[in-house]
Amino acid sequence: MKTPREFLSDLRDEIEAHPAVNHLFLNRLATSPMSRQDYRVFAENHYPLVCAFTTYMELLLLRAPDSEARLWLSRVLVDEYGEGSEGKDHPTLYASFVDACGGDSGRLGPERLPSPAHAFIQAHQRLVRRGTFLEGLGAVGPGHEWAIPKMFDAIVPGLRRAGLSDDQIGYFTLHLEQDEDHGAWLEEALVRTAGTPEAQAQVRRGALTSLEARMRFWDGVQAAVIRYRQPRATRADGPSPRTLLHEVALTSWDGMTMGRALETWRARRATDARPTLDGMLLACRSLT
Amino acid sequence: MKILLVMPTPFETGRLGLENVIWLAEPVALTSIAATVSDRHEVRLLDMRLEREETLPETLADWKPDLVGTTSMTTDVYQAKAVLRMTRQIVPNALTVVGGHAPTLQPKEFAEPYIDVVVQGEGEDTFQQLCQRWDVQRAHGDRTFAGVAGTRYHDHDTIRVEAKRSQVRSLDDLPAPDRSLVAKYHGRYFFTSARPMASIFTSRGCSFDCNFCAIWEFYERRTRYLSAAKIVDQMQACEERFIFLLDDNFLTNKKRILALCEELERRKVKKLWMTQGRTDFVADNPDIMARLAKNGLVGLLSGFESNDDDNLAALRKKNTFDKNKRANDILRDNGIFSTGIFMVRADWSKEQFDALYDYINTLEIGIPLVTILTPLPGTQLYRLYRDKLMTDDYRLFDLLHCVLPTRLPRAEFYKHFARAIDATEVSCYRAMRSLLFKRPSVWWAMGRNLLWFYARTWRYQRVHRDYTSFLRDEEGLLNGPGARGHLTWRDVQYPTGSEPRTDREGQSLIPLRIPKRTWADDVADASQNPHNHDLPALAAGE
Repeated sequence: MKTPREFLSDLRDEIEAHPAVNHLFLNRLATSPMSRQDYRVFAENHYPLVCAFTTYMELLLLRAPDSEARLWLSRVLVDEYGEGSEGKDHPTLYASFVDACGGDSGRLGPERLPSPAHAFIQAHQRLVRRGTFLEGLGAVGPGHEWAIPKMFDAIVPGLRRAGLSDDQIGYFTLHLEQDEDHGAWLEEALVRTAGTPEAQAQVRRGALTSLEARMRFWDGVQAAVIRYRQPRATRADGPSPRTLLHEVALTSWDGMTMGRALETWRARRATDARPTLDGMLLACRSLT
Repeated sequence: MKILLVMPTPFETGRLGLENVIWLAEPVALTSIAATVSDRHEVRLLDMRLEREETLPETLADWKPDLVGTTSMTTDVYQAKAVLRMTRQIVPNALTVVGGHAPTLQPKEFAEPYIDVVVQGEGEDTFQQLCQRWDVQRAHGDRTFAGVAGTRYHDHDTIRVEAKRSQVRSLDDLPAPDRSLVAKYHGRYFFTSARPMASIFTSRGCSFDCNFCAIWEFYERRTRYLSAAKIVDQMQACEERFIFLLDDNFLTNKKRILALCEELERRKVKKLWMTQGRTDFVADNPDIMARLAKNGLVGLLSGFESNDDDNLAALRKKNTFDKNKRANDILRDNGIFSTGIFMVRADWSKEQFDALYDYINTLEIGIPLVTILTPLPGTQLYRLYRDKLMTDDYRLFDLLHCVLPTRLPRAEFYKHFARAIDATEVSCYRAMRSLLFKRPSVWWAMGRNLLWFYARTWRYQRVHRDYTSFLRDEEGLLNGPGARGHLTWRDVQYPTGSEPRTDREGQSLIPLRIPKRTWADDVADASQNPHNHDLPALAAGE
């Protein structure tokens, strides 16, 4: 059996090499000259995740098995509420980034959640509410706090290249430093609780489930950025070749006015079925 | 040692470019360098144009290669860098290598901490030596490669540039590309409706010096050829019925072309093949073209470029309107499907667009590809216009976006550009009809996939016909020196073709003769930046 420290060291390596943390989209942000318009689409998709993060922690805090675990979780939460950022909580910091990119952060609250963000938040709410405490801790600890510095490390140079000032990207630069601390604090909580193989498996399962959701989230954000640039872009090739029938059927569907109208209708229905950001946050808070 | 070669996507997945619909060729650059090392090392190849995005990080994490190499043209610069950045994140011990046209002609773009080695020029010998050295050095993590010609690498805080590798090796001596590495993608490569399609090259370089093209600079204005026997060996080794000969300019050496015809006739090879070549050769050699058609040439991709002799002269094309017309007739008479490339200029008016489209419709070009004259890095035009560019974003150097100030308002310019498909369809229909009557068997061979091709291009055309697509693509990205300086089309003087050849101290074009020890852009950079310690040392050797 691995000691908790050995287990956590291996888990850190696994997370650092995970496709979600090293997503091609993040590397593209690091290497390509994206514009503020691209970052606005990015920010509008990412903002709900920032707003929702503390709700996972709050739910988890209620389920913490002992006061020591509660203490470590509280330390992270206090920072998220704005302790380390001149009293500005993280959603407030992020809102200034949204506005700097040309978005309107005030408009995002009453709007329906974008699909990638909704899926991500749902996956995490399931983990912290229905999973075991350790699965939840794995998701918000290693799954978030260990992953975020590496992911943001890819994002920050691109933001600077797009001409955004240090103040405007404060949310990201703050996390490069703060999440190292958060990760270390949550590691302390994990060392005390991940002593058995069963506990270790739960922590790992939570972290990896969180990262799977993260990967789908980045896929979705990348698709949203591309859709913004080319709303009429065609369907990209997949890993297996399409048959002639498939190609013709797709083209016929795309060519039919009714086909396009049906797709628009379906997309609108799907959007309407998603909660607004404000509604979702309210629902989460009512649980705590 | 485990080597992973990665063909990057040209754009972010989901964006549309010509590779999605017109031409997706095998990554021959990578299979060629792989062939030089695959007997000693375990090599894998990922073509990211045909893979899921997750495949790359998964392969890196699971297989843990010791060396990851990629290649880049101008538009893929960021994608190639993203591949190597990801590599450094997941397998920090692996050596990261990039080669190809963009790294050769604009190496500074690749001076990144996560890129260990930039290979300049032809890659086979350099890559082989690099692998040998890395196999020994990786145990102690030494990432410097003193003495390996054709490389640039980090050495402490500086970038060390090794001597330029001479490109004199006979192509016959090089191993044939290792096509087994792309066997898993069999059937996915195509050119228009010709698929499945194999790709091989039979020559490298071009002896002409068009100012919009960097091929001749890359190959130092020399052309080297594969012998007829070797070409036919490679053709026979291909399972596919269609083969694309990826030569930069196949139609140059009459003796070699006749030898190839003889060899194809002797061995009774019945492949259908396509290639790229100049129209003046076609116009001047109708007999050779007829013989090539009999030996399986079914398609020719050529740069018609313009409907105007002055414009052709300005491009240093050394070709004429009349020859283009004559070539078109010869291709039609021999049932050779023609794909013609035309270039519109940023300073064009509506009337000039109309005149070009009318001209195309007098021809019988199966696929008229109307593009925008773009000063690609490494070309003479780039050196002339680098201070006037509207954008620094290489994704927009795809010949479909205008990187110089336009005479018409940009929206109107793109409106006229976007109507190229509709405005030239007469030419396509006539070409198809002509092919049907001249070579029904070829028509049938290609026509079987016509519906498949039509379906794909139709979806592409939805984007291309919408001129706002181009505007949206460049939104927020017009921040190059031309845009910052609020330049207009009047500030951009196009060459007329009668300029004197200015020397290195001159204002615009650098000498046509390329220095033997260094790359042309390095000379230009060195002359602009005397404080750069590496480059003047090399340039001074000339």
